[in-house]
Amino acid sequence: MLTILNIAFRNLLQAKRRTILLGLAVTIVASLFLVLRSVSASVSERMIESATTLSAGHVNIGGFFKSSKKASAPVLVGREELRAFVRKEVPEAVSIIDRHRGWGRLISPASSINVGVNGIIFDEEERFFRSLRLAKESEYKKDGSQQAVGNFDDLKQPNNVLIFAAQAKKLEVGVGDTLTFVTEASRTQSNTADLRIAAIASDIGFMSNWSIFMPRQNVLDLNRVSDDTTGVVMVYLPSQDQAETVMNRLRESFKTKGYQVLDHDPNPFFLKFDKIAGEDWLGQKLDLTLWSDEISFVIWVTAALDLVSFFVVGVLSIIIIGGIMNAMWMSVRERTKEIGTMRAIGAQKGFVIQLFLTEAVMLGLFASLLGIVLVGITLSILNGLEVPITNEGARLFLMSNNLYFSLHAGQFISTLLLFGFITGLAALYPALKASKLRPVEALMQGK
Amino acid sequence: MRRLLFHSLSLLSVFSGGQLLALDAKQTQELIKLVDERQRNMGDYASTVFIDQKEKDGSTKAFEARVYRRDADDKWMILFTKPKAEAGKGYLRVEKNLFLYEPSLGKWERQTERASIGGTNSRRDDFDESRLAEEYDGTFVADEKLGKFAVHRLKMTAKPSAEVASPILELWVDQESKNVLKRQELALSGKLLRTIYYPSWDKMFSKSKNADVYVPKEIRVFDEVEKGSGTTVVLREVKLDPLEANMFTKAWLETQSK
Repeated sequence: MLTILNIAFRNLLQAKRRTILLGLAVTIVASLFLVLRSVSASVSERMIESATTLSAGHVNIGGFFKSSKKASAPVLVGREELRAFVRKEVPEAVSIIDRHRGWGRLISPASSINVGVNGIIFDEEERFFRSLRLAKESEYKKDGSQQAVGNFDDLKQPNNVLIFAAQAKKLEVGVGDTLTFVTEASRTQSNTADLRIAAIASDIGFMSNWSIFMPRQNVLDLNRVSDDTTGVVMVYLPSQDQAETVMNRLRESFKTKGYQVLDHDPNPFFLKFDKIAGEDWLGQKLDLTLWSDEISFVIWVTAALDLVSFFVVGVLSIIIIGGIMNAMWMSVRERTKEIGTMRAIGAQKGFVIQLFLTEAVMLGLFASLLGIVLVGITLSILNGLEVPITNEGARLFLMSNNLYFSLHAGQFISTLLLFGFITGLAALYPALKASKLRPVEALMQGK
Repeated sequence: MRRLLFHSLSLLSVFSGGQLLALDAKQTQELIKLVDERQRNMGDYASTVFIDQKEKDGSTKAFEARVYRRDADDKWMILFTKPKAEAGKGYLRVEKNLFLYEPSLGKWERQTERASIGGTNSRRDDFDESRLAEEYDGTFVADEKLGKFAVHRLKMTAKPSAEVASPILELWVDQESKNVLKRQELALSGKLLRTIYYPSWDKMFSKSKNADVYVPKEIRVFDEVEKGSGTTVVLREVKLDPLEANMFTKAWLETQSK
């Protein structure tokens, strides 16, 4: 094997110009592939982070209460019993919390925005507050200071609200200012609350643009519902990979216990009102979802990115395969005498195939390794610089306010293997042709 | 006896904020019924509306739309005709459900009673017939002057079974014409949300009712939470003639949108 490696390496060195040109092409495509994969991975990670921090647990037990045929409120009664049942049925849960949820309009003297509201119990939200950071004043105020003002602890008290930097910027407000929240209470009647901004947190992807957090009691008062109600019970597991199994298990447990459970609909709760309002039942039904269901409306972003990556890399790979096949075929033609000599002194067909394949795979591995190193260094520097994304559309698409690329060892290894395989595949046909040359004919052609 | 009567009236005057109650509970209820009755048509209704929306940043939007009502069946529809970008968009209310049709998406979406019409400060009930007596319990507040008009001021609280956007209303009813001149809408929290003025009314003869019907010619809506934003609705070409039988359907609205 060492002999083959040695000969292949020397052959690559001998055909320097060809090796450099082909290697460069492989390096560029491998780099592009890696960049696209890291963008897709960072969007996906941001989605999971945003979803599981802002609006969902790994498994969510939400549901709807219909007091009349056309009504559909995202409210569950029997909160204590529900939580106790989930706690008993999911002993592996890392944490189980519940939040009230709804929507409304947040109004400042300067502007207004539509938001989703989360009613939280401060002492239960350790995970949430651990992942938040108070925003520097400069993140939402022109010429603001580098100081982070506000206090998450104030959310223990009613009539306080937590908003995010992008919201504060739009509303032109700061910590301590008062906002009016207008929402719909039971039977569609308007209700309002005046809320003091206790804290402004740094944005968590674009999803934080439409989420606000206030003490649970405020949401109870706004919606005029009793203390034994909730919006959603959120279950956090040791790993998100367990989510589907746990959800299916819980679904069966709830049914056995006698709860009414809706069929699995992989969409966020706010996209289900229409459907629920049109259904002919009264009372309460549970709706079990995964974290990914609650952000299904943005999952298309990663699907689109993956599709683009697949298409671009696919087209470029075909070009590379053509180039390598052509180069290898030229190499076979140039080295016909050499092949004939090797075959004449006893080299088997397999040896010739191995020789050409090794040469191509070696080229692919070296070139893609170079691409990986270059991309790795460049993206690490860019990540370190925390370059802000100023374009709103790009922010929305990339789900981040700063340029961020997710880099993992797995991406490096798979890129290396993929391009080693692609170059090997491209060399297969010329290698087979070379191996089929008869020694006498090869020696004659060599003359 | 006269002294006792004098003292009783003085005491009543003190307890009623220095003003004698001009309408008792029964009279108040009758007044509310009268307000409804004067606007009730019993048949079909159609008008052209011009909606002018002013935002607090100074920007403005203008729309033209056709409003259709069939009060007997509690059906209502608004179809936008101008500007071009909004033409074909429509709201349809049937069986107490309000739907929005977006022609660009070809999609219907359920809306709540609070939903604004076309992103303005106006709501569906601004264009609908008056159902105050059915949906609210009223109490007399005071007799006041609203500009040059002498008015009865009433406070209305939504009945427990009523599905209305505003749980609390205050009305200023012209003592002479019995038309509503001003209306304020409050949230459950008591916060003032909208103030609406009805500066002019038209009297029309309705064949279906066989009596006169009063319709507002102009409605001015002021958002009291987002100060500076407001909507003016001008109603023209009001017709009380029967409309096509199949008009209040999704299919009809969709065909008009093409």
